[in-house]
Amino acid sequence: MRRVPLGARPDWRETARANGFTFSGADGAEYWSEGHAYAFTLGQVERDIEAPSAELHALCRAFVSDAVEDERILASLALPEHAWDTVRTSWRRGDPSLYGRLDFAYDGRGPAKLLEYNADTPTALYETGVFQWLWLEEALASGRLPPGSDQFNTVHDDLIARFRGIAAGGDIAFTAYADVPEDRGTVAYLEDCARQAGLVTRFLDLGDLGLGPDGSFVDRVLCPIPLLFKLYPWEWAFADRFGQALAGTPSRFLEPPWKAVLSNKGLLAHLYAREPGHPNLLPAFFESDPDKARLGRSFARKPLYSREGANVLILREGHVLANAGGPYGAEGFIRQGLAELPDFDGWRPLVGAWIVGDAPAGLCVREGRGAVTTDAALCVPHFIAPV
Amino acid sequence: MTSPPESVAPTSKRSQSVTLVLMAGAGATALGLAQIDQSQREEDILVYPNPEACGAAHIRTEADCRRDYALARAAYPEGAPRYATEAQCEAHHGRSHCLPGGLVAPSAAGRFVPMMAAFLVGRRPEQDLPPQPVYDHRPGETSGGTPHGGGGYCTGWGGRVVTGGGGTASSGRVASAAVRQAAFGGFGATGRGFSSGHASGAGRGGGG
Repeated sequence: MRRVPLGARPDWRETARANGFTFSGADGAEYWSEGHAYAFTLGQVERDIEAPSAELHALCRAFVSDAVEDERILASLALPEHAWDTVRTSWRRGDPSLYGRLDFAYDGRGPAKLLEYNADTPTALYETGVFQWLWLEEALASGRLPPGSDQFNTVHDDLIARFRGIAAGGDIAFTAYADVPEDRGTVAYLEDCARQAGLVTRFLDLGDLGLGPDGSFVDRVLCPIPLLFKLYPWEWAFADRFGQALAGTPSRFLEPPWKAVLSNKGLLAHLYAREPGHPNLLPAFFESDPDKARLGRSFARKPLYSREGANVLILREGHVLANAGGPYGAEGFIRQGLAELPDFDGWRPLVGAWIVGDAPAGLCVREGRGAVTTDAALCVPHFIAPV
Repeated sequence: MTSPPESVAPTSKRSQSVTLVLMAGAGATALGLAQIDQSQREEDILVYPNPEACGAAHIRTEADCRRDYALARAAYPEGAPRYATEAQCEAHHGRSHCLPGGLVAPSAAGRFVPMMAAFLVGRRPEQDLPPQPVYDHRPGETSGGTPHGGGGYCTGWGGRVVTGGGGTASSGRVASAAVRQAAFGGFGATGRGFSSGHASGAGRGGGG
Protein backbone atom coordinates (compact mmCIF):
# COMPACT_ATOMS: atom_id res chain seq x y z
CA MET A 1 0.00 0.00 0.00
CA ARG A 2 1.50 3.31 -1.13
CA ARG A 3 0.34 6.88 -1.49
CA VAL A 4 1.32 7.77 -5.02
CA PRO A 5 1.46 11.30 -6.47
CA LEU A 6 -0.19 11.19 -9.90
CA GLY A 7 -1.46 14.70 -10.44
CA ALA A 8 -5.11 15.56 -10.87
CA ARG A 9 -6.77 15.51 -14.27
CA PRO A 10 -6.92 19.17 -15.32
CA ASP A 11 -10.57 18.81 -16.34
CA TRP A 12 -11.83 16.66 -13.49
CA ARG A 13 -14.29 19.29 -12.31
CA GLU A 14 -15.93 19.40 -15.72
CA THR A 15 -16.00 15.63 -15.75
CA ALA A 16 -17.64 15.73 -12.35
CA ARG A 17 -20.30 18.16 -13.53
CA ALA A 18 -20.98 16.12 -16.65
CA ASN A 19 -21.55 13.05 -14.51
CA GLY A 20 -23.86 14.52 -11.95
CA PHE A 21 -21.21 14.80 -9.24
CA THR A 22 -22.24 18.22 -8.01
CA PHE A 23 -22.53 17.54 -4.33
CA SER A 24 -19.53 18.20 -2.17
CA GLY A 25 -18.25 17.51 1.30
CA ALA A 26 -18.88 19.08 4.65
CA ASP A 27 -19.33 22.84 4.63
CA GLY A 28 -19.23 22.90 0.85
CA ALA A 29 -15.53 22.03 0.69
CA GLU A 30 -14.36 19.99 -2.23
CA TYR A 31 -13.74 16.53 -0.97
CA TRP A 32 -12.83 14.59 -4.05
CA SER A 33 -9.03 14.64 -4.16
CA GLU A 34 -7.05 12.95 -6.94
CA GLY A 35 -3.64 14.59 -6.75
CA HIS A 36 -2.62 11.38 -5.02
CA ALA A 37 -3.98 7.88 -5.14
CA TYR A 38 -3.50 4.81 -2.98
CA ALA A 39 -1.84 1.82 -4.65
CA PHE A 40 -2.55 -1.68 -3.40
CA THR A 41 -1.28 -5.05 -4.52
CA LEU A 42 -3.87 -7.58 -5.64
CA GLY A 43 -2.90 -9.71 -2.65
CA GLN A 44 -3.53 -6.84 -0.25
CA VAL A 45 -6.96 -6.25 -1.71
CA GLU A 46 -8.06 -9.87 -1.92
CA ARG A 47 -6.38 -11.35 1.15
CA ASP A 48 -6.44 -8.40 3.55
CA ILE A 49 -9.66 -6.56 2.66
CA GLU A 50 -12.02 -8.54 0.45
CA ALA A 51 -11.86 -11.93 2.19
CA PRO A 52 -12.06 -10.52 5.73
CA SER A 53 -14.96 -8.28 4.68
CA ALA A 54 -16.96 -11.27 3.47
CA GLU A 55 -16.14 -13.13 6.66
CA LEU A 56 -17.00 -10.22 8.96
CA HIS A 57 -20.27 -9.60 7.17
CA ALA A 58 -21.16 -13.27 7.65
CA LEU A 59 -20.27 -12.99 11.35
CA CYS A 60 -22.50 -9.94 11.53
CA ARG A 61 -25.42 -11.82 10.04
CA ALA A 62 -24.93 -14.63 12.53
CA PHE A 63 -24.93 -12.04 15.28
CA VAL A 64 -28.17 -10.46 14.05
CA SER A 65 -29.75 -13.88 14.00
CA ASP A 66 -29.01 -14.30 17.72
CA ALA A 67 -29.56 -10.67 18.70
CA VAL A 68 -33.15 -10.44 17.50
CA GLU A 69 -34.07 -13.41 19.70
CA ASP A 70 -32.30 -12.06 22.78
CA GLU A 71 -33.78 -9.00 24.44
CA ARG A 72 -30.68 -8.51 26.57
CA ILE A 73 -28.68 -7.93 23.39
CA LEU A 74 -31.29 -5.58 21.92
CA ALA A 75 -31.30 -3.63 25.18
CA SER A 76 -27.49 -3.48 25.24
CA LEU A 77 -27.61 -1.80 21.83
CA ALA A 78 -29.94 0.87 23.24
CA LEU A 79 -32.62 0.04 20.71
CA PRO A 80 -35.96 1.31 22.07
CA GLU A 81 -38.27 -1.45 23.21
CA HIS A 82 -41.03 -0.38 20.87
CA ALA A 83 -38.73 -1.15 17.95
CA TRP A 84 -37.77 -4.68 18.96
CA ASP A 85 -40.65 -6.39 17.17
CA THR A 86 -39.99 -4.38 14.03
CA VAL A 87 -36.34 -5.37 14.03
CA ARG A 88 -37.07 -9.00 14.87
CA THR A 89 -39.84 -9.39 12.32
CA SER A 90 -37.79 -7.89 9.51
CA TRP A 91 -35.04 -10.43 10.15
CA ARG A 92 -37.33 -13.46 10.54
CA ARG A 93 -39.13 -12.48 7.36
CA GLY A 94 -35.82 -12.39 5.52
CA ASP A 95 -36.09 -8.74 4.44
CA PRO A 96 -33.17 -8.24 2.04
CA SER A 97 -30.45 -5.67 2.59
CA LEU A 98 -28.85 -3.52 -0.09
CA TYR A 99 -25.48 -2.26 1.04
CA GLY A 100 -23.12 -1.26 3.81
CA ARG A 101 -19.54 -0.16 4.38
CA LEU A 102 -17.01 -1.73 6.73
CA ASP A 103 -14.34 0.75 7.81
CA PHE A 104 -10.84 -0.53 8.50
CA ALA A 105 -7.54 0.72 9.84
CA TYR A 106 -5.06 -0.80 7.39
CA ASP A 107 -1.51 0.08 6.43
CA GLY A 108 -0.67 -2.64 3.91
CA ARG A 109 0.96 -4.87 6.48
CA GLY A 110 -0.78 -7.19 8.88
CA PRO A 111 -4.51 -7.68 9.24
CA ALA A 112 -6.95 -4.85 8.62
CA LYS A 113 -8.71 -3.92 11.85
CA LEU A 114 -12.44 -3.29 11.79
CA LEU A 115 -13.24 0.12 13.26
CA GLU A 116 -16.99 0.06 12.62
CA TYR A 117 -19.71 -1.13 10.29
CA ASN A 118 -21.78 1.63 8.72
CA ALA A 119 -24.46 -0.84 7.77
CA ASP A 120 -27.43 1.50 7.58
CA THR A 121 -26.76 4.85 5.88
CA PRO A 122 -23.28 4.94 4.33
CA THR A 123 -22.42 7.63 1.81
CA ALA A 124 -19.41 8.00 -0.58
CA LEU A 125 -21.13 5.38 -2.71
CA TYR A 126 -21.39 7.32 -5.96
CA GLU A 127 -17.83 8.55 -5.47
CA THR A 128 -16.69 4.95 -5.23
CA GLY A 129 -18.83 3.26 -7.85
CA VAL A 130 -18.85 5.92 -10.55
CA PHE A 131 -16.36 8.70 -10.14
CA GLN A 132 -13.48 6.59 -8.86
CA TRP A 133 -14.10 4.09 -11.68
CA LEU A 134 -14.12 6.85 -14.25
CA TRP A 135 -10.88 8.22 -12.78
CA LEU A 136 -9.21 4.85 -13.29
CA GLU A 137 -10.40 4.47 -16.86
CA GLU A 138 -9.21 7.96 -17.77
CA ALA A 139 -5.92 7.50 -15.95
CA LEU A 140 -5.33 4.32 -17.94
CA ALA A 141 -6.30 5.97 -21.21
CA SER A 142 -4.04 8.97 -20.60
CA GLY A 143 -1.08 6.89 -19.45
CA ARG A 144 -1.18 8.42 -15.98
CA LEU A 145 -1.44 4.84 -14.70
CA PRO A 146 0.54 1.92 -16.15
CA PRO A 147 -1.32 -0.59 -18.34
CA GLY A 148 -2.76 -3.43 -16.33
CA SER A 149 -3.66 -1.21 -13.37
CA ASP A 150 -6.99 -2.26 -11.93
CA GLN A 151 -9.39 -1.30 -9.15
CA PHE A 152 -11.50 -3.25 -6.68
CA ASN A 153 -14.81 -1.79 -7.67
CA THR A 154 -17.87 -3.63 -8.94
CA VAL A 155 -20.11 -1.45 -6.79
CA HIS A 156 -22.13 -0.14 -9.74
CA ASP A 157 -22.79 -3.55 -11.34
CA ASP A 158 -23.52 -5.12 -7.99
CA LEU A 159 -26.02 -2.45 -6.95
CA ILE A 160 -27.97 -2.87 -10.18
CA ALA A 161 -27.94 -6.64 -9.84
CA ARG A 162 -29.02 -6.38 -6.21
CA PHE A 163 -31.95 -4.08 -7.01
CA ARG A 164 -32.99 -6.52 -9.71
CA GLY A 165 -32.87 -9.34 -7.19
CA ILE A 166 -34.84 -7.44 -4.56
CA ALA A 167 -37.70 -6.00 -6.59
CA ALA A 168 -37.43 -6.61 -10.33
CA GLY A 169 -40.14 -4.62 -12.10
CA GLY A 170 -41.47 -3.31 -8.79
CA ASP A 171 -41.97 0.11 -7.28
CA ILE A 172 -39.46 1.77 -5.02
CA ALA A 173 -39.37 5.22 -3.47
CA PHE A 174 -36.25 6.95 -2.18
CA THR A 175 -36.14 9.41 0.67
CA ALA A 176 -33.54 11.56 2.41
CA TYR A 177 -33.14 15.15 3.54
CA ALA A 178 -33.49 16.75 0.11
CA ASP A 179 -31.61 19.83 1.30
CA VAL A 180 -28.44 17.95 2.30
CA PRO A 181 -26.51 17.69 -0.98
CA GLU A 182 -24.36 14.71 -0.05
CA ASP A 183 -27.37 12.68 1.03
CA ARG A 184 -29.43 13.82 -1.95
CA GLY A 185 -26.59 12.88 -4.30
CA THR A 186 -26.18 9.42 -2.80
CA VAL A 187 -29.88 8.75 -3.08
CA ALA A 188 -30.01 10.09 -6.64
CA TYR A 189 -27.28 7.62 -7.54
CA LEU A 190 -29.13 4.72 -5.95
CA GLU A 191 -32.29 5.75 -7.75
CA ASP A 192 -30.31 5.71 -10.99
CA CYS A 193 -29.13 2.16 -10.29
CA ALA A 194 -32.65 1.02 -9.41
CA ARG A 195 -34.00 2.54 -12.61
CA GLN A 196 -31.38 0.67 -14.61
CA ALA A 197 -32.43 -2.51 -12.82
CA GLY A 198 -35.95 -2.01 -14.19
CA LEU A 199 -37.63 -0.69 -11.06
CA VAL A 200 -40.14 2.16 -11.12
CA THR A 201 -38.58 4.88 -8.99
CA ARG A 202 -39.45 8.21 -7.37
CA PHE A 203 -37.85 10.50 -4.82
CA LEU A 204 -39.47 12.32 -1.95
CA ASP A 205 -38.14 14.49 0.81
CA LEU A 206 -38.42 13.00 4.29
CA GLY A 207 -41.03 15.63 5.12
CA ASP A 208 -43.18 14.48 2.21
CA LEU A 209 -43.43 10.99 3.61
CA GLY A 210 -46.92 10.37 4.95
CA LEU A 211 -48.60 7.70 6.98
CA GLY A 212 -51.88 6.55 5.49
CA PRO A 213 -54.91 5.31 7.40
CA ASP A 214 -54.04 1.65 6.74
CA GLY A 215 -50.51 2.05 8.11
CA SER A 216 -48.85 2.22 4.69
CA PHE A 217 -46.33 4.95 4.16
CA VAL A 218 -47.55 7.18 1.34
CA ASP A 219 -46.33 10.04 -0.81
CA ARG A 220 -48.00 13.45 -1.13
CA VAL A 221 -50.51 12.12 -3.60
CA LEU A 222 -51.32 9.37 -1.13
CA CYS A 223 -49.93 6.64 -3.29
CA PRO A 224 -48.77 3.78 -1.03
CA ILE A 225 -45.06 3.03 -0.97
CA PRO A 226 -44.42 -0.72 -1.00
CA LEU A 227 -40.64 -0.38 -0.74
CA LEU A 228 -38.81 2.66 0.62
CA PHE A 229 -35.10 3.32 0.55
CA LYS A 230 -34.31 5.77 3.34
CA LEU A 231 -30.97 7.45 3.86
CA TYR A 232 -32.01 8.13 7.43
CA PRO A 233 -30.70 6.13 10.36
CA TRP A 234 -33.02 3.68 12.03
CA GLU A 235 -32.32 5.00 15.50
CA TRP A 236 -33.62 8.40 14.39
CA ALA A 237 -36.62 6.87 12.66
CA PHE A 238 -37.48 4.89 15.80
CA ALA A 239 -37.35 8.10 17.86
CA ASP A 240 -39.51 10.08 15.41
CA ARG A 241 -43.27 10.35 15.63
CA PHE A 242 -43.73 7.78 12.84
CA GLY A 243 -41.47 5.36 14.70
CA GLN A 244 -44.45 3.93 16.50
CA ALA A 245 -46.09 3.09 13.17
CA LEU A 246 -43.25 0.90 11.91
CA ALA A 247 -44.40 -2.24 13.69
CA GLY A 248 -47.68 -2.44 11.81
CA THR A 249 -46.86 -1.05 8.40
CA PRO A 250 -47.09 -3.13 5.24
CA SER A 251 -44.35 -0.94 3.69
CA ARG A 252 -40.86 -2.50 3.45
CA PHE A 253 -37.53 -0.73 3.81
CA LEU A 254 -33.98 -0.57 2.55
CA GLU A 255 -31.98 -0.89 4.63
CA PRO A 256 -34.28 -3.21 6.58
CA PRO A 257 -34.87 -2.53 10.30
CA TRP A 258 -32.55 -5.37 11.35
CA LYS A 259 -29.63 -3.27 10.12
CA ALA A 260 -30.10 -1.22 13.30
CA VAL A 261 -28.39 -4.10 15.10
CA LEU A 262 -25.25 -3.69 12.98
CA SER A 263 -25.04 0.06 12.52
CA ASN A 264 -24.31 0.45 16.19
CA LYS A 265 -20.96 0.50 17.93
CA GLY A 266 -22.29 -2.01 20.46
CA LEU A 267 -21.86 -4.52 17.63
CA LEU A 268 -18.10 -4.25 18.08
CA ALA A 269 -18.23 -5.40 21.70
CA HIS A 270 -20.53 -8.28 20.85
CA LEU A 271 -18.46 -9.41 17.86
CA TYR A 272 -15.31 -9.41 19.96
CA ALA A 273 -17.02 -11.41 22.71
CA ARG A 274 -18.10 -13.99 20.14
CA GLU A 275 -14.78 -14.18 18.25
CA PRO A 276 -12.06 -12.96 20.62
CA GLY A 277 -9.27 -14.44 18.51
CA HIS A 278 -10.35 -13.02 15.17
CA PRO A 279 -7.45 -11.25 13.48
CA ASN A 280 -9.62 -8.44 12.09
CA LEU A 281 -11.42 -7.63 15.32
CA LEU A 282 -10.10 -5.25 17.95
CA PRO A 283 -10.90 -5.99 21.57
CA ALA A 284 -13.99 -3.99 22.48
CA PHE A 285 -16.17 -3.65 25.56
CA PHE A 286 -19.20 -1.76 26.66
CA GLU A 287 -18.30 1.17 28.87
CA SER A 288 -20.33 -0.52 31.62
CA ASP A 289 -18.18 -3.69 31.42
CA PRO A 290 -15.36 -3.86 34.00
CA ASP A 291 -13.30 -5.84 31.45
CA LYS A 292 -12.75 -2.55 29.62
CA ALA A 293 -9.82 -2.13 32.02
CA ARG A 294 -7.98 -4.74 29.92
CA LEU A 295 -7.50 -2.05 27.28
CA GLY A 296 -5.34 -0.07 29.68
CA ARG A 297 -4.76 3.54 28.78
CA SER A 298 -4.87 3.20 25.00
CA PHE A 299 -8.31 2.99 23.44
CA ALA A 300 -10.98 4.68 21.41
CA ARG A 301 -14.24 5.53 23.16
CA LYS A 302 -17.18 5.71 20.76
CA PRO A 303 -20.89 6.46 21.29
CA LEU A 304 -23.23 3.58 20.39
CA TYR A 305 -24.76 5.88 17.82
CA SER A 306 -22.67 8.41 15.99
CA ARG A 307 -21.68 9.37 12.49
CA GLU A 308 -18.76 11.09 10.84
CA GLY A 309 -16.48 10.48 13.80
CA ALA A 310 -18.48 12.71 16.12
CA ASN A 311 -17.94 12.32 19.89
CA VAL A 312 -15.05 9.88 19.49
CA LEU A 313 -12.34 10.10 22.15
CA ILE A 314 -8.94 8.50 21.47
CA LEU A 315 -6.32 7.94 24.12
CA ARG A 316 -2.78 6.61 23.65
CA GLU A 317 -1.03 5.79 26.92
CA GLY A 318 -3.40 8.16 28.63
CA HIS A 319 -2.73 11.05 26.27
CA VAL A 320 -5.65 12.44 24.33
CA LEU A 321 -5.03 12.03 20.58
CA ALA A 322 -8.48 13.15 19.60
CA ASN A 323 -11.62 14.28 21.32
CA ALA A 324 -14.19 15.05 18.70
CA GLY A 325 -17.19 17.12 19.67
CA GLY A 326 -20.72 16.43 18.62
CA PRO A 327 -24.24 15.69 19.75
CA TYR A 328 -24.00 11.93 20.37
CA GLY A 329 -23.40 9.73 23.35
CA ALA A 330 -26.63 9.86 25.31
CA GLU A 331 -27.19 6.11 24.75
CA GLY A 332 -23.81 5.07 26.12
CA PHE A 333 -20.37 4.19 24.80
CA ILE A 334 -18.05 1.36 23.94
CA ARG A 335 -14.31 1.20 24.36
CA GLN A 336 -12.29 -0.30 21.55
CA GLY A 337 -8.62 -1.26 21.48
CA LEU A 338 -6.54 1.35 19.73
CA ALA A 339 -5.68 0.78 16.06
CA GLU A 340 -4.33 4.08 14.85
CA LEU A 341 -4.81 5.01 11.25
CA PRO A 342 -1.52 4.76 9.37
CA ASP A 343 0.36 7.92 8.45
CA PHE A 344 1.27 8.54 4.80
CA ASP A 345 3.02 11.89 4.46
CA GLY A 346 0.88 13.30 7.23
CA TRP A 347 -2.35 11.91 5.78
CA ARG A 348 -4.35 9.25 7.59
CA PRO A 349 -6.30 6.96 5.25
CA LEU A 350 -9.38 5.02 6.31
CA VAL A 351 -10.13 2.02 4.10
CA GLY A 352 -13.83 1.48 3.45
CA ALA A 353 -14.95 -1.90 2.10
CA TRP A 354 -18.35 -1.93 0.44
CA ILE A 355 -20.72 -4.81 0.89
CA VAL A 356 -23.52 -5.04 -1.68
CA GLY A 357 -26.09 -7.67 -0.87
CA ASP A 358 -23.94 -10.07 1.12
CA ALA A 359 -20.69 -9.85 -0.86
CA PRO A 360 -17.72 -7.45 -0.93
CA ALA A 361 -18.02 -5.07 -3.87
CA GLY A 362 -15.23 -2.52 -3.77
CA LEU A 363 -13.03 -0.08 -1.90
CA CYS A 364 -13.02 3.57 -1.09
CA VAL A 365 -10.30 5.45 0.74
CA ARG A 366 -10.98 8.59 2.72
CA GLU A 367 -8.16 10.51 4.30
CA GLY A 368 -7.80 13.31 6.80
CA ARG A 369 -5.07 14.83 8.94
CA GLY A 370 -6.35 13.66 12.28
CA ALA A 371 -6.65 10.44 14.23
CA VAL A 372 -10.41 10.38 13.64
CA THR A 373 -11.91 10.41 10.15
CA THR A 374 -14.59 13.11 10.11
CA ASP A 375 -16.98 14.57 7.60
CA ALA A 376 -14.14 16.82 6.47
CA ALA A 377 -12.14 13.84 5.15
CA LEU A 378 -11.20 13.73 1.48
CA CYS A 379 -12.27 10.99 -0.87
CA VAL A 380 -9.17 9.64 -2.66
CA PRO A 381 -9.10 7.09 -5.49
CA HIS A 382 -7.23 3.79 -5.32
CA PHE A 383 -5.79 1.37 -7.84
CA ILE A 384 -4.39 -2.12 -7.88
CA ALA A 385 -0.86 -1.88 -9.21
CA PRO A 386 0.06 -4.35 -11.97
CA VAL A 387 2.51 -7.07 -10.99
CA MET B 1 -22.16 9.42 -20.28
CA THR B 2 -19.27 7.14 -19.61
CA SER B 3 -18.17 4.77 -22.31
CA PRO B 4 -17.03 1.22 -21.73
CA PRO B 5 -13.30 0.70 -21.70
CA GLU B 6 -11.83 -0.66 -24.89
CA SER B 7 -10.49 -3.72 -23.18
CA VAL B 8 -10.63 -5.01 -19.66
CA ALA B 9 -8.80 -8.14 -18.70
CA PRO B 10 -11.19 -10.97 -17.84
CA THR B 11 -9.74 -11.12 -14.34
CA SER B 12 -10.57 -7.46 -13.70
CA LYS B 13 -11.87 -6.56 -10.27
CA ARG B 14 -13.82 -3.58 -11.52
CA SER B 15 -17.04 -2.92 -13.40
CA GLN B 16 -16.87 -3.50 -17.15
CA SER B 17 -18.86 -0.35 -17.78
CA VAL B 18 -20.61 2.28 -15.75
CA THR B 19 -23.63 4.12 -17.12
CA LEU B 20 -25.95 6.62 -15.52
CA VAL B 21 -29.44 7.28 -16.81
CA LEU B 22 -30.77 9.89 -14.38
CA MET B 23 -27.78 11.75 -13.04
CA ALA B 24 -25.68 12.24 -16.14
CA GLY B 25 -25.50 15.83 -17.25
CA ALA B 26 -28.30 16.98 -15.00
CA GLY B 27 -26.47 17.32 -11.75
CA ALA B 28 -27.88 15.81 -8.63
CA THR B 29 -29.14 19.11 -7.31
CA ALA B 30 -31.06 20.01 -10.42
CA LEU B 31 -32.46 16.52 -10.51
CA GLY B 32 -33.49 16.80 -6.92
CA LEU B 33 -35.38 20.02 -7.38
CA ALA B 34 -37.16 18.78 -10.45
CA GLN B 35 -38.30 15.67 -8.68
CA ILE B 36 -39.23 17.19 -5.36
CA ASP B 37 -41.37 19.85 -6.92
CA GLN B 38 -43.91 17.44 -8.36
CA SER B 39 -47.45 18.77 -8.43
CA GLN B 40 -49.87 17.30 -6.02
CA ARG B 41 -53.00 15.38 -6.88
CA GLU B 42 -56.11 17.47 -6.45
CA GLU B 43 -59.71 16.73 -5.72
CA ASP B 44 -63.04 18.47 -6.28
CA ILE B 45 -64.89 18.98 -3.04
CA LEU B 46 -68.12 20.50 -1.77
CA VAL B 47 -68.44 22.33 1.55
CA TYR B 48 -71.74 23.22 3.24
CA PRO B 49 -72.44 24.77 6.64
CA ASN B 50 -75.49 22.50 7.12
CA PRO B 51 -77.60 19.87 5.33
CA GLU B 52 -80.15 22.47 4.22
CA ALA B 53 -77.55 24.46 2.28
CA CYS B 54 -76.36 21.21 0.76
CA GLY B 55 -79.85 20.24 -0.37
CA ALA B 56 -80.55 23.71 -1.75
CA ALA B 57 -77.54 23.40 -4.05
CA HIS B 58 -79.19 20.48 -5.86
CA ILE B 59 -75.92 18.71 -6.52
CA ARG B 60 -76.63 15.94 -4.06
CA THR B 61 -79.96 14.60 -2.90
CA GLU B 62 -81.37 15.84 0.37
CA ALA B 63 -81.04 12.33 1.78
CA ASP B 64 -77.35 12.22 0.84
CA CYS B 65 -76.87 15.63 2.40
CA ARG B 66 -78.42 14.53 5.69
CA ARG B 67 -76.42 11.31 5.75
CA ASP B 68 -73.12 13.06 4.95
CA TYR B 69 -73.75 15.72 7.56
CA ALA B 70 -74.50 13.08 10.19
CA LEU B 71 -71.28 11.23 9.37
CA ALA B 72 -69.22 14.39 9.62
CA ARG B 73 -70.96 15.41 12.83
CA ALA B 74 -70.22 11.98 14.30
CA ALA B 75 -66.54 12.32 13.40
CA TYR B 76 -66.30 15.77 14.96
CA PRO B 77 -65.85 15.05 18.69
CA GLU B 78 -62.80 12.84 18.23
CA GLY B 79 -61.56 14.44 15.01
CA ALA B 80 -61.44 18.04 16.22
CA PRO B 81 -57.96 19.39 16.86
CA ARG B 82 -57.06 19.97 20.51
CA TYR B 83 -55.42 23.06 21.95
CA ALA B 84 -54.01 23.64 25.40
CA THR B 85 -55.51 27.10 25.73
CA GLU B 86 -58.43 29.00 24.29
CA ALA B 87 -56.00 31.62 23.00
CA GLN B 88 -54.07 29.04 20.97
CA CYS B 89 -57.31 27.69 19.55
CA GLU B 90 -58.58 31.15 18.63
CA ALA B 91 -55.24 32.00 17.03
CA HIS B 92 -55.95 29.26 14.49
CA HIS B 93 -59.69 29.35 14.16
CA GLY B 94 -60.80 32.85 15.07
CA ARG B 95 -62.23 34.63 18.04
CA SER B 96 -65.32 33.01 19.62
CA HIS B 97 -64.89 29.98 17.40
CA CYS B 98 -63.65 27.68 20.14
CA LEU B 99 -65.25 25.62 22.88
CA PRO B 100 -64.03 24.03 26.09
CA GLY B 101 -63.15 20.50 24.98
CA GLY B 102 -65.16 18.86 27.73
CA LEU B 103 -68.37 20.08 26.05
CA VAL B 104 -67.46 18.17 22.90
CA ALA B 105 -65.81 14.95 24.01
CA PRO B 106 -64.56 13.46 27.28
CA SER B 107 -61.19 12.90 25.61
CA ALA B 108 -60.91 16.65 25.04
CA ALA B 109 -61.64 17.67 28.63
CA GLY B 110 -59.32 20.37 29.91
CA ARG B 111 -58.49 21.50 26.38
CA PHE B 112 -60.08 23.64 23.71
CA VAL B 113 -61.46 22.64 20.34
CA PRO B 114 -62.83 24.67 17.41
CA MET B 115 -66.51 24.62 16.57
CA MET B 116 -67.45 22.59 13.53
CA ALA B 117 -67.98 25.22 10.84
CA ALA B 118 -69.14 23.06 7.96
CA PHE B 119 -68.94 19.61 6.46
CA LEU B 120 -66.97 18.55 3.43
CA VAL B 121 -67.73 15.84 0.88
CA GLY B 122 -66.30 14.74 -2.44
CA ARG B 123 -68.08 16.09 -5.50
CA ARG B 124 -68.41 12.62 -7.01
CA PRO B 125 -69.24 9.38 -5.19
CA GLU B 126 -66.38 7.53 -6.90
CA GLN B 127 -63.87 9.77 -5.09
CA ASP B 128 -64.81 7.73 -2.03
CA LEU B 129 -63.92 10.63 0.22
CA PRO B 130 -65.34 10.23 3.73
CA PRO B 131 -67.56 13.17 4.77
CA GLN B 132 -65.70 15.17 7.37
CA PRO B 133 -66.02 18.21 9.59
CA VAL B 134 -64.02 21.34 8.74
CA TYR B 135 -63.16 24.34 10.86
CA ASP B 136 -62.82 28.04 10.19
CA HIS B 137 -59.24 28.90 9.35
CA ARG B 138 -58.64 32.37 10.78
CA PRO B 139 -55.00 32.64 11.78
CA GLY B 140 -54.08 35.82 13.62
CA GLU B 141 -57.59 37.17 13.61
CA THR B 142 -57.89 40.08 15.99
CA SER B 143 -61.53 41.07 15.63
CA GLY B 144 -64.75 39.12 15.44
CA GLY B 145 -64.94 39.40 11.66
CA THR B 146 -67.67 37.77 9.67
CA PRO B 147 -68.43 34.10 10.04
CA HIS B 148 -66.99 31.76 7.41
CA GLY B 149 -64.89 34.55 5.99
CA GLY B 150 -62.07 34.62 3.50
CA GLY B 151 -59.68 32.47 5.48
CA GLY B 152 -61.44 29.38 4.29
CA TYR B 153 -61.45 26.16 6.24
CA CYS B 154 -59.07 23.60 7.59
CA THR B 155 -59.43 19.94 8.37
CA GLY B 156 -58.80 18.30 11.69
CA TRP B 157 -55.18 17.61 10.79
CA GLY B 158 -54.45 21.05 9.39
CA GLY B 159 -55.21 20.54 5.70
CA ARG B 160 -56.24 23.82 4.04
CA VAL B 161 -59.54 23.98 2.21
CA VAL B 162 -60.21 27.20 0.34
CA THR B 163 -63.38 27.55 -1.68
CA GLY B 164 -64.27 30.37 -4.01
CA GLY B 165 -66.28 33.50 -3.24
CA GLY B 166 -64.55 34.36 -0.02
CA GLY B 167 -65.12 30.91 1.37
CA THR B 168 -68.92 30.99 1.15
CA ALA B 169 -69.11 29.17 -2.17
CA SER B 170 -69.77 25.52 -1.79
CA SER B 171 -67.32 24.04 -4.25
CA GLY B 172 -63.57 24.03 -4.55
CA ARG B 173 -60.54 22.16 -5.75
CA VAL B 174 -58.00 21.26 -3.10
CA ALA B 175 -54.86 19.24 -2.65
CA SER B 176 -55.81 15.67 -2.04
CA ALA B 177 -53.55 15.50 0.98
CA ALA B 178 -55.55 18.29 2.62
CA VAL B 179 -58.67 16.19 2.82
CA ARG B 180 -57.31 12.64 3.01
CA GLN B 181 -56.28 11.59 6.44
CA ALA B 182 -52.61 10.90 6.03
CA ALA B 183 -50.14 12.34 8.48
CA PHE B 184 -46.95 13.95 7.20
CA GLY B 185 -43.72 15.11 8.71
CA GLY B 186 -43.41 12.15 11.05
CA PHE B 187 -39.85 11.37 9.98
CA GLY B 188 -36.89 13.70 10.10
CA ALA B 189 -37.31 15.58 13.37
CA THR B 190 -34.76 13.56 15.33
CA GLY B 191 -32.04 14.08 12.76
CA ARG B 192 -32.75 17.80 12.55
CA GLY B 193 -32.27 17.95 16.28
CA PHE B 194 -28.83 16.41 15.92
CA SER B 195 -27.91 18.64 12.99
CA SER B 196 -28.66 21.86 14.79
CA GLY B 197 -26.62 20.68 17.72
CA HIS B 198 -23.66 19.67 15.58
CA ALA B 199 -20.39 21.19 16.68
CA SER B 200 -19.51 22.40 13.20
CA GLY B 201 -22.88 24.04 12.79
CA ALA B 202 -23.20 22.45 9.37
CA GLY B 203 -26.54 21.07 8.29
CA ARG B 204 -25.57 17.43 8.16
CA GLY B 205 -27.81 14.67 7.01
CA GLY B 206 -28.41 11.07 7.88
CA GLY B 207 -25.60 9.60 5.81
CA GLY B 208 -22.11 8.90 6.95
